[in-house]
Formats: sequence, C-alpha cells, structure tokens
Amino acid sequence: MIRSIIIFVSISMFLYSQEDLLGLIEDDTPKTIPVKATFKATRIVNAQSIEMPKPKILEFMILHRFGSMTNGAYDLFGMDEAVIRFDLKYGFSERVSIGLGRSSLNKTYDIFSKLKIIEQRTGHRSFPISLVLFSKMEIETITKDMAMNNRYTYDAQLLIAKKFNRSFSLQLMPTFIHRNLVENHNDSHDLISLGIGGRMKITRRTSINFDTFFPIGKRVETYRQGWGIGYDIETGGHVFQLMLTNARGSFESEYIESAKGRIEDLDLYLGFNIARVFYL
Amino acid sequence: MNKRLFFFIFIVPLIAKDLYYTRSGTVSFFSSTPIEDIKAINEQTTCVLDMETGDLSFRIPILGFNFKNGLMQEHFNENYLESDIYPDAGFKGKIDNWAQVVLSEEPQTVSIKGIMTIHGVSKEIVEIGKISINDHKVNGTASFNITVADYDIKIPKILRENIAKIVDVDVKLGLKKK
Repeated sequence: MIRSIIIFVSISMFLYSQEDLLGLIEDDTPKTIPVKATFKATRIVNAQSIEMPKPKILEFMILHRFGSMTNGAYDLFGMDEAVIRFDLKYGFSERVSIGLGRSSLNKTYDIFSKLKIIEQRTGHRSFPISLVLFSKMEIETITKDMAMNNRYTYDAQLLIAKKFNRSFSLQLMPTFIHRNLVENHNDSHDLISLGIGGRMKITRRTSINFDTFFPIGKRVETYRQGWGIGYDIETGGHVFQLMLTNARGSFESEYIESAKGRIEDLDLYLGFNIARVFYL
Repeated sequence: MNKRLFFFIFIVPLIAKDLYYTRSGTVSFFSSTPIEDIKAINEQTTCVLDMETGDLSFRIPILGFNFKNGLMQEHFNENYLESDIYPDAGFKGKIDNWAQVVLSEEPQTVSIKGIMTIHGVSKEIVEIGKISINDHKVNGTASFNITVADYDIKIPKILRENIAKIVDVDVKLGLKKK
C-alpha cells in the first residue's frame, strides 16, 4: 500500500515538474471574442450585409449591372448595356458608417447609414447574432418637373446575421420601404418584406452567396420577387462580386420592390460589384 | 508521516518555483515591400521565465495583434493565421547556459533555443535576445526574422508583391516576480 502511494506520488511529482510554465500563471479571467467576417463585403449579392467599413476606412464601391440576357447572343447576353452605381462610405467607428451613392437607373442619389446595435460574440459574454440597422433615403432625379416631395423613397432594414461556422453565414432582413410617390392610387406607399441571404465559403478567399426578399402583403401584378446569386472573390484590399440577378438596379427600392426579370424568359442580369478600401 | 509526504510533494515545488512573468508583453511584426508596409502590435503576450532553470514560455494571442487598417486585421485573422482554428502562437524553450548568466542592470546577450509554434506549425529556432534586471523587474528584448512559408501561411499570388516573405519580429518584455 505504502509502496503504491510512493510510486503514485513520485509519478505525479515527475509530471508536475514537466508541466508547462504557462499553466503556473494561468489567467482565469473569462474572455469574450467578437465574431468577425460574417460576410466578405458590405453587400451579400444585392442585399446589404451586416459588414460595414472599419473605422477610418473609406470604401468605394462600383455596382455594375449589364442589360437583360433575354436577347441572347444578339447583344452578348446584355453586355451591350449597363446600369451603374457608385457609392462611397466611411466608417466613423466600429458601430457607425455613413455613405453616399448615385445610380444611373432613374438618376437616383441616396444617402444611407449602418448602425451596429450588437455584435455576435463567443466566450464569456457570448451573444448568438449580430444586429445592424440599415437606413436610407433615395432621391430620384430623372423627371425634371416634379415636386421635391415626390422624389423621395425611404428604406429601413434590420439586418440579423449569424455566422454559424467559418464558412456558413445567414442573414434575415425585415424590410420597410416607404415611397412618397406611387404609380397608381391603389398602390401602397408602404411595403414590407422579409429578406434572407447567406454565404458559403468555397475556399479561403471565395464564396457563393444568395439573397432574396419575400413580400409581406399585397403587391401589384407586375411584381416579381427579387433575388440574386453571386460569387465573391477577395484579393487583399478588393472584394470582387460576380452575380446573376433578376433586378436591374442595385439600390434597395429597385432590387427589393421593382425586380422585373422572369427566369422563364431568361430576363436576367449579369453584374459585378467591386469594393476598394482606402485607409484615411 | 502522510502529512509530511504531502508537504514535500505538493507544497515544495510550488514554493521552489521562482517564476517571473508578464501578461502584457509586446510582440510586433513588420512586413516591408516596395508597395506597402504592414505593421501590427500585440500587447497581450504572456511570458514566463523560470529563474532556476532558464526555461521560457510564451503565449501570443493572434486576435491581440492590432493593425492600423482594420480590414487587414480581419484578413490576417481569417485568411492567414486562421485564428479561429489556431488562436495562439507560442514558444517553449530555454535560455542557453542559464547557470552562467548573471543578471545585472546592463543588458546582456543570451541565446534562446526552443520550439516556436505559429499557425499550428512547430519549428525549432535559436535566436539572440537581451536580458537585464532592474529594480526586481527582468527586462527582455529580442529581434529576429520569421519566414512566413515555414509556418504554412500562404500568400496568394496576387499579393506576393504586397506582403514580405520574411517579416521582422520585435519582442519586448518586463517580467515581474510571481
């Protein structure tokens, strides 16, 4: 008995002396780790993602959509035409970014912001999702004689995202759009929809993305549910996003409420987004 | 009898260990190419020195590296060091000829030998450092190079011109007695 105790003890003593030095000063303070890089870019495909420019970073984005593919080879699957959007956004802090944009479609100017309410985190004070409030005002300027009031469209979205693992992220987007001007008296000024988007990484620097918006409430007959599928390629300071979508415009009131393309007619649009960041 | 045995087995080694440590050591690296300079500083490095044996251990949390450019920091964690899989870099080794080293206020050069682990890859290294003691505080510094490819950190072709193949690393520590 005594002998076995001695043997046990000498073994444990041996193990003790072999223990890592770091173990002897172990810090027990619990740690909270924020979950980063839920998406690669500030857009999923068309839809806004919870990502925003980092503090003191200015992001320049070009969103380019070719014409409809419906004419096939005649106009090289729509490549003869294009609508284009530029925007500039700046990260004022970890939580706030503000941007300005201009789209050639309907000559629309816009101002928008993202406000991070809470960030997904693991560890001690973990939280399962990230919440970002996206809000925006669009000003249409294609019609010359129009009361200023009629030019405005407002958009508010709550972006609820979860990064499930290093490859897979999903985002829900309850969306409210208010149009000051509608085509017919019966059309609703206020439109509600629920967007869903996600990404699946293929390699470290590429991913497949999708997004779509389900309408809640009545829509006009010509309404089509907007969707997009895309492929992200990240190269250092750039993110390059290739896509196929049924929406011509790359701003909210267009791709959520005015997508026209029908998949049966191949009335779809190829396009790309390029984001470039500058450190200021 | 039993009590005395226990004392020797469990208490003696605890008292006997003469440890100096820090949890806020500085490790920084610098990558320089004609196109761009990249620098990051980590001030959350844990280091322990066993004053009896000269054994030395480091733990460097990858998420603790701060870049001026937040996007770079994100890519560093996500694409290069993969900190979700390998949260810490580390070193475990000892100071050579520790028995002969007599610490003084004057920094003296020592050779440090051991296993460096970065990105889950372990590699034996021998580097030069400087060590001194001042007002019951052990100060250590070291500067050396790390070859990125040694640790299976892949730089995409398109960024070969932006990221150095060999980065400079600086270590600065102030250890206090445990």
